Amino acid sequence: MLTIQIFNGLVYGALLIVMSSGLALIYGLRRVVNFAHGALYMLGAYIAFAVATVSNFWAALVIAPAAMAVFGVLIDRYGFRLLQDREPLNVMLVTFGLLLILEDLVAYIWGKGNHSLFTPELLNFSVSLFGHDMPAYRIGVLVVGVLVALGLTLWLRYSRMGLFVRAASTDPVTTSMQGVNTDVLSATVVGLGSALAGLAGVVAAPFLSLSPHMSSDVLIDSFVVVVIGGLGSLAGAFVAAILLGLMQALGAVYLPGVSVLLPFIFMIAILIWKPSGLAGSRT
Amino acid sequence: MTLTRMSLNALLAVVAAGVILWLTTSNSLLGMFTQAVIYAIFALGVGVLLKQNGLVSFGHALYFGAAGYSVAVILQLGWMPAEWAILVTLVGIGSASFLVGLVIVRVPGIAFGMLTLAIGQMAYLLAVRARGMTGGSDGMSIQWPNTLFGVSQSTLLKPSVLFFVSWVVLVLVTCVLVQVMRTRFGAITEAIRDNEERARFIGIRTAVPRAAVYALSAVVAGVAGLMSALNTGFVSPENLHWSVSAITLLMVVVGGVKSLAGPIIGAIVYFLFKDLLGEHATHSMAIFGAALIAVIVFSPDGLIGAFQRLFKRKKVHP
Repeated sequence: MLTIQIFNGLVYGALLIVMSSGLALIYGLRRVVNFAHGALYMLGAYIAFAVATVSNFWAALVIAPAAMAVFGVLIDRYGFRLLQDREPLNVMLVTFGLLLILEDLVAYIWGKGNHSLFTPELLNFSVSLFGHDMPAYRIGVLVVGVLVALGLTLWLRYSRMGLFVRAASTDPVTTSMQGVNTDVLSATVVGLGSALAGLAGVVAAPFLSLSPHMSSDVLIDSFVVVVIGGLGSLAGAFVAAILLGLMQALGAVYLPGVSVLLPFIFMIAILIWKPSGLAGSRT
Repeated sequence: MTLTRMSLNALLAVVAAGVILWLTTSNSLLGMFTQAVIYAIFALGVGVLLKQNGLVSFGHALYFGAAGYSVAVILQLGWMPAEWAILVTLVGIGSASFLVGLVIVRVPGIAFGMLTLAIGQMAYLLAVRARGMTGGSDGMSIQWPNTLFGVSQSTLLKPSVLFFVSWVVLVLVTCVLVQVMRTRFGAITEAIRDNEERARFIGIRTAVPRAAVYALSAVVAGVAGLMSALNTGFVSPENLHWSVSAITLLMVVVGGVKSLAGPIIGAIVYFLFKDLLGEHATHSMAIFGAALIAVIVFSPDGLIGAFQRLFKRKKVHP
């Protein structure tokens, strides 16, 4: 029982890693709290649904994140870049407006009812692990989470572009004076972050149901993760995502009455203890 | 603005309500106006926090919904007359939010918004889960007594009376807020908003005034919640949902955050807009989202700012 709960917690944590790392990247560079991230997650899931009905899940796994990457670059070019001198609150509300538009769009195209996506054939079996049968698909989700975390860490730490991203996150003006094209950099990062939101949507589609309101829960959980981790910090977000996933899964069994409140209680406790989050020193 | 001038303005506003009542014959339109006025009070609560504290709340639906639930539960249990229930509710919200405020106003910037979002969602989830008396996600109806403040229920629930009462409450709340801002307390909170460190340097304690503004804004949201409870006779977890907080924040920003008139204008425009669209489109939220983006992009200080610019441009010409 405990093993299964820990496993499920890690799976949800992996999903939150994929989702919140995009959010943290975009916040780090653009200082935007992006409500539209939830809409991109939802769009990713719906595009996966549409692609999977005419083709298969594996095509969706490529197409949906790619489509969201393009969309993200457009949001950066015609949204964030034009609004970069505005109050953060105003930009945040623009992304909220975008969320409203996209939720309505999805309801218009696919209807307000729920849809579900079947687990892909290739992963539709169970693996015996620690004496329990674990669905292979969920193990796959776990692997995706680990790959995203590892990939982003290596990219930021060892690539030239990653160096620029870290520099621009600390001080965009000085970075651009050193000859880095921060506009291209931002477009890349927002595109990458959006692709990750789309990826999270595709990955979540077979085990969470699809509806025009599906973004709300995951979006709020991701906000909690990003804030607990320390705004804009990736490592903090990874740790917070896993903690949150575990907390929800274990809470559902051992503290059923208050399990839904646990993430929020956790967040409040962390922020009172350390107002800038687990890893944060930035404001 | 002196006290006499303000009373005069308030009187004018009440007369305006009379004119609106006289001109409006349709009850459904009047119902929409009432809702707009109630949300204007709510938006004032959110707006005063932003204006005086510079803090963005994503969770004021908590106080809006909690006020309704508190009155509903007290009346259901028959603990006290409705008038006392209203008073106890407002005092309760004031003191509870002050304590919450003392803790959370220390958290800087955007994290504060996320914290209020979290606290609000906690209340929402609790209300959804709590079965029994509060009826979980179905909500609960409020058993108002036959007479409230000496007015019989049948009179009070007439659309015209409800509209007038909400309007008067809005005027009163506005007057109180304007007065509060003119006091030393108002000046102190503005100093803290502009530069907390400097305010501390000149010997002002910053946490208590900040928490007090938070409590004030929560009480105003609670007043709106009470009016809504009177208007609909019903309270459900939907009142607590974060989207309610977000929509109200939108009203504030669309109206303009720099003056108290902004939130009121924003709320009224929102409901007029929604009513206008309701007949033509089923996708009102998408259109509202687009309109919101347009207002923010083209007039960052809201509709009020746009009006002022129009007005000023004429004046500047020689």
